[in-house]
Amino acid sequence: MTDPANQIQRSGPGLHTVMVVLSLLMVGPFVWMVLTSFKSFTEAADPAWMPGAFRWENYPEVFRVIPFLRFAANSLVVAGWVTLLQVFTSALAAYSFSRLEWPGRDRIFFLYLGTMMLPGLVMLIPTFQLMVRFGMVDTYLGLILPAAFSAFGTFLLRQFMLGIPRALDEAAEIDGASKWRIFWDVILPLSRPGLITLAIFTFMGNYHSFFWPLVMMKTVEKFPLPVGLMFFDSERGQATHLLMAGVTMSVVPLIIIFIFLQRQLIRGIQIGAVKG
Amino acid sequence: MSNRRSDLRRTLTGLGFLLPNILGFLAFTLVPLAMSFFIAFTDWDILRHNIFREEPLRFVGFENFTWLFTHPEFWHYLGNTFFLMLGLPFAIAGSLGAALLLTRVSRRPAALRGAMVLATLVLIGSLWVLRAGGMAEAGVWFVFGLLGATMLVGGVLTGGTIYRTLFYLPHFTAGVATFVLWKKLYNPQTGPINFALAPVLDAVAAVVQAMPRVFSVGVPLLSGVLAVLLATWQARRLRRHWDDAAAGPGAVGLGAALLVLPAGFLLHWLGLRGWLATLAAAVLAAGFTLATVRRPRPWGPVCARDAGVSAEIALGLGLVPLLLVLAAAVAHGAGLPAAVADGIEPPNWLGDYAWAKPAIMLMALWAAIGSNNMILYLAGLSNIPPELYEAADMDGASPMQRFWHITWPQLAPVTFFIFVMGVIHGLQGGFEMARIMTLGGPAGSTTTLSYFIYIEGFETGRLGYASAAAWVLFALVFVLSLLNFRFGNRNAND
Repeated sequence: MTDPANQIQRSGPGLHTVMVVLSLLMVGPFVWMVLTSFKSFTEAADPAWMPGAFRWENYPEVFRVIPFLRFAANSLVVAGWVTLLQVFTSALAAYSFSRLEWPGRDRIFFLYLGTMMLPGLVMLIPTFQLMVRFGMVDTYLGLILPAAFSAFGTFLLRQFMLGIPRALDEAAEIDGASKWRIFWDVILPLSRPGLITLAIFTFMGNYHSFFWPLVMMKTVEKFPLPVGLMFFDSERGQATHLLMAGVTMSVVPLIIIFIFLQRQLIRGIQIGAVKG
Repeated sequence: MSNRRSDLRRTLTGLGFLLPNILGFLAFTLVPLAMSFFIAFTDWDILRHNIFREEPLRFVGFENFTWLFTHPEFWHYLGNTFFLMLGLPFAIAGSLGAALLLTRVSRRPAALRGAMVLATLVLIGSLWVLRAGGMAEAGVWFVFGLLGATMLVGGVLTGGTIYRTLFYLPHFTAGVATFVLWKKLYNPQTGPINFALAPVLDAVAAVVQAMPRVFSVGVPLLSGVLAVLLATWQARRLRRHWDDAAAGPGAVGLGAALLVLPAGFLLHWLGLRGWLATLAAAVLAAGFTLATVRRPRPWGPVCARDAGVSAEIALGLGLVPLLLVLAAAVAHGAGLPAAVADGIEPPNWLGDYAWAKPAIMLMALWAAIGSNNMILYLAGLSNIPPELYEAADMDGASPMQRFWHITWPQLAPVTFFIFVMGVIHGLQGGFEMARIMTLGGPAGSTTTLSYFIYIEGFETGRLGYASAAAWVLFALVFVLSLLNFRFGNRNAND
């Protein structure tokens, strides 16, 4: 893109070979993961890559040993609710920060943005103590609520909403629509790409989350997937082949989501950071 | 009067939309922040102060902080945190390199036939290997051949999009799952990394043993030359920044300090061999003097806008480990043949005090190269005005000059953003790797500040210490961000 003249010169077989080798390096660990997931227990201790025979029964075995579906459902429910709430609260705030005129708006916006700099670790221990007081330890609510608000999400959606033409609000205002109606019927539908981007980010971040569920959840049935998978890699026992089967099952949906939504995601990253 | 009422109305509407966020901010940011500050000055220990034993909390003033600062472990963990952050320049370089490569790939239908032929050859080759070696032995080569051939055809068809997808994949899936995966990859007995490394290291050892003289003289000599070249190159850059007023005394001083640090280590390592140390110091000094006294040739109009300082700091920080490795090679290279007399053992990675941190950094690099940073660099690269390159071509600039005088300075704002975010992130990082891969060991070598806070806060239950440590972290993040924003985003033109 930078220089057409040189581009054609360089886009030769050599470049493609380099790219394929790099891609293989990126994919290599995943290949090992999938191959190991088909090994037997003894083969898993052998450094050779290929299993002697592909043991498909490892996958049903995972479901027998740990409540994998339950863990997955926990992860999906928590991440889903967090995503829904965070996108909604962020959209509300972003609307106020981008489309409404009120005194002190921008000062408050930058203050709110500044909270992104606060290290989450500082709040960790008191938030946990609050959860103890409110009796929210070991509840889904305790996982969902603290993650339902996000300065980053507000910032991202504000950037999107700033790009929507003003004339649309004004036309709706002349038709007598309330601020809420404008938000709900005009701005929200038009911010769909932004909402989807934020939804992907939020969902991914919470699907992976490990720290908070680790300290909050006590009942095994309520563990999300990242915490639950650790059963295969604990002091009590190592089952590398089953662990890899479980990891494969938790990673493959992500890869599928990613392949379908990557265009959205890349646009979102660029709008969120470069224009900001 | 009506104006003020409408002002009030508008403010109320505006705040109404903010209400959920304000409540969330109060409950999960402001109150915890205040509590954390309060806890940091108390002796709250979960064993003594809990719902069963309501012992009153005692204010201890700065005792928690003095305890932290007087305990060597805390400094050790702080050092670990900073050590792991040394991976950041390499991650930046990797992302930039990947982005540069990706922009070079273009959609060319004419290349498709060649790619198809090549892919078919690769496939036939891997099938042949499979037939010769059998499924168990050679199956993996077949798998990689198949994958590589598919990628090649896909890459040519999509004009590189598939490569971008694959580069981004490790970052997208990065989490507990991939950390567990890498823990297994690093296993010294059963993991594939050492399995693949062992024959390579054996071959290297054999070569070194075959020609001991060449290596005992050549390695230190070559490393020395390389180190001096690198240092000279960076010294000249610093000098040029100084002359162009692109960097203040602070930035240049820091850059120079980062150069002298490896030299100091070199002298320390050379220790006993006095004449060699003197020689090395003399050569280094001569190099620096030569490099900085003679003003480098000013180059074209495009270097007027120079790189931001934080981009320079990232670069300087990246040079330190490189120079240190070279310096170590100079210091210990002479003993190389004797050291490999019994062959080279592959490292014990996560189980070894010295290798655990590099192992984690390597994994982080794998996940970071194709991350959001690469996407940002791609966007930044497409925003560089093509006229700059055209002007450079007319002046007959080499590819290196094009990069250092146009691409790198033009990308400085992106580098700044990535660097600041990386520092903030890095200071808080390392918890998941430590918890999943090493439990902070061996001997605390992978315990970062965040893992320490977790241990104190949730396992030993000393909330006072944990909160104090969290506030030290807060102060660090704050100071470093402030410095970054104050000095990091300065360009020569603005």
